[in-house]
Amino acid sequence: MLHLPVLKADERKHSMDTDKGEKVDLTDAIFQLEKEGEWIVQRVPEPYIELDTKYGRKKKIPIEHTWHHKSCGQCGHIPGYSASIFWLNREFGLDYHDPTNQTSCTAWNYYASATSNPEAQAAVAIRNFASAYEVGYFPLIHCGTSFGHYKEVRHALVHQPELRRKVKAIMEKLGKPFVIPEEIVHYSEWVLAMKDRIAERQQLDMSMITATVHPACHYHKLIEDDAIYDSEIYGAQRTAIISGTLKALGINVADYSTWFDCCGFGFRHILVSRDFSRSFSVQRKIGVMIEEANPDVTVTHDTGCVTTLDQSQFAGKAHDKKVGLPVMSDSQMAALAMGAHPYKVLQLHWHNTDNKAFLEKLGIDHEKKWSEFQHEIQKIKDGKNEYMSWEDAK
Amino acid sequence: MASENIIVIGGGPAGLEAARGVADLGYKAILVEKRDRLGGTPDEAQYAALTPDMRSAKEAMDEMRDAVTDNSGVELMLNTTVTGSEGELGNFVVKAEQGGKQIDIEAGAVILATGFQHFDPGRETQKYGYYEHDDVITLVDAEKMFTAGNFVRPSNGEKPKSVAFIQCVGSRDRQIGNEYCSKVCCGISSKQAIEVRHHCPDAKIYIFYIDMRMYGYWENEIYWPAQEKHKVNYIKGMATEILKQGDHLIVKGEDTTLRRPMEVPMDMVILAVGMEPSVGTKEMAEVFGVNKNKYGFIETIGGALNTVSTNVEGVFAAGACTGPADLEDSVSAAGSAVMKSIGAIRKAAVPA
Repeated sequence: MLHLPVLKADERKHSMDTDKGEKVDLTDAIFQLEKEGEWIVQRVPEPYIELDTKYGRKKKIPIEHTWHHKSCGQCGHIPGYSASIFWLNREFGLDYHDPTNQTSCTAWNYYASATSNPEAQAAVAIRNFASAYEVGYFPLIHCGTSFGHYKEVRHALVHQPELRRKVKAIMEKLGKPFVIPEEIVHYSEWVLAMKDRIAERQQLDMSMITATVHPACHYHKLIEDDAIYDSEIYGAQRTAIISGTLKALGINVADYSTWFDCCGFGFRHILVSRDFSRSFSVQRKIGVMIEEANPDVTVTHDTGCVTTLDQSQFAGKAHDKKVGLPVMSDSQMAALAMGAHPYKVLQLHWHNTDNKAFLEKLGIDHEKKWSEFQHEIQKIKDGKNEYMSWEDAK
Repeated sequence: MASENIIVIGGGPAGLEAARGVADLGYKAILVEKRDRLGGTPDEAQYAALTPDMRSAKEAMDEMRDAVTDNSGVELMLNTTVTGSEGELGNFVVKAEQGGKQIDIEAGAVILATGFQHFDPGRETQKYGYYEHDDVITLVDAEKMFTAGNFVRPSNGEKPKSVAFIQCVGSRDRQIGNEYCSKVCCGISSKQAIEVRHHCPDAKIYIFYIDMRMYGYWENEIYWPAQEKHKVNYIKGMATEILKQGDHLIVKGEDTTLRRPMEVPMDMVILAVGMEPSVGTKEMAEVFGVNKNKYGFIETIGGALNTVSTNVEGVFAAGACTGPADLEDSVSAAGSAVMKSIGAIRKAAVPA
């Protein structure tokens, strides 16, 4: 037994509760601006669950009455991602709203240095918030980029009266109220807040699964003090998002040495230097995960990350790299754990990397499931069904 | 009747020197310390050697303790916590708790010497994983190991083959609100790098820095010997993440001289944690109504010409409770606080 005057890492006591957090907490400023008539603050509806942020501030995560701000990339590339979020809401019988009048946040262009300006960015954000407010639901942001971007927009609006003035004029022109939500909440925070309820209704044993995790840069690196941390997860040294959910499902979360690295998407890279994105994703992320952790799946929580990690692996395969690691979102994993259909709900057939071995390890007969899905497709082909309903997806 | 006693709060280097100074000048010092022993942070954190002369910290603290122990001019009150204060210059009544009992201490003036605490690296904006990786330690942890005479990797008890110091952890960081330089860390890291060399003659030793702030004689006393004699490598660049890869730590960051990202495997990493106001400093500022600066340190009001007076007449502050300070700063400020406090009492005693 080694006796040293230095504690092991897991014996060191880190208090997240620190008054330093006040420096980055915008809560007071947001409500003060409401008092001054600058805007309306939309309160987090009850019931909500409070989770710790990096510096100990409690963040309110609404459980229902949520307005689902979808992700352009999710809808286009991996529709089962957002379908899984809705499926979870429906399984729990929660009230939510799936709007049809949401505007793209345009942040991708902004982060790729391609276009736009602060007034346009902020006005789009406030327009979306106003749309949620008008129907009485609270924004829940599916997209990591929109989430990070809206946090930056909020920061700018709090600190720049001139920007507020310009955005206010735009909102008046649109005939919409100038609304800021009390919290800006990412869907994966909702999944984390729901983790115990999800685990209670878990149908699949996942204890044989080893997963690696990739947190989205725009989730935990932009306004990092607003991301969720937990002293039980990585000693509160990294965000608890995804990892906390997977652990609640009994999954073994494995570490790897490029955990903090970008997935490869990089915004500008995926637009103008896509080969770099592919190489980075395969060599710095997927390859390292396989080499160091040999996981069954890697789980992330953003559109760009899922698509890049998943859809870059073909390039590695072409170069005889060791690839073939299924990529899923935490919402898909949670839904799968609760018995969601892998094709009707998770829509894993849209994923590029083969995930059959992963499903088999979980004891899922993917051939049978595929045939059930095909049966629903046939009904649409035959004109018996216009589209697959939630009832059909059961 | 006005009191000529001076209450000194805090039994670290500044408080010890202040109490000794008050007694030397023929006044009575009441030295209040909440712990059960004197010596402050150098004692509590088990510092090994002082910067820059490598003198034993214990030996130095013993010398300071001896100067107040059995000194007829110093009344020692250990295990005593100050909880309130009434009165004014010449007539303070300081409320304290000692062994569950409430006591009143009469004093003409107050010297606050409540010091600092080391930055908690869990709040660092970079990703250093102090609470994740056994082999990521702080300067404070390293001091304890040097004091114990056994510098090894906490994970396996083996001598490290490579050690990296990371500077400015919790200092010069706008994002967490600590914009200030903690002043001593560059010197202490260099001193510790030399100590690591003594323990591990064959190890590769690196210091990753923004810029090295070796003011005064520390330049020739530590910085150059560390490089030239003890073969410590100084690398200008910020480390941003530490993760594990197999048995090693991987330090990632940017080498700003070579202008490119770096990833270096290391056996151990020592975080040069900076200074923040101690809990006692923040509490005493509230008790005595003394202004704090935006970082929570006690604010002195005299600029460069008076580094110990506060906004409350008769209440003075010395040492690291007013901001980052080394031992020389702390002891010098204590002397100044003694002079100012006695001067204030004498002036108050003279009828107008």
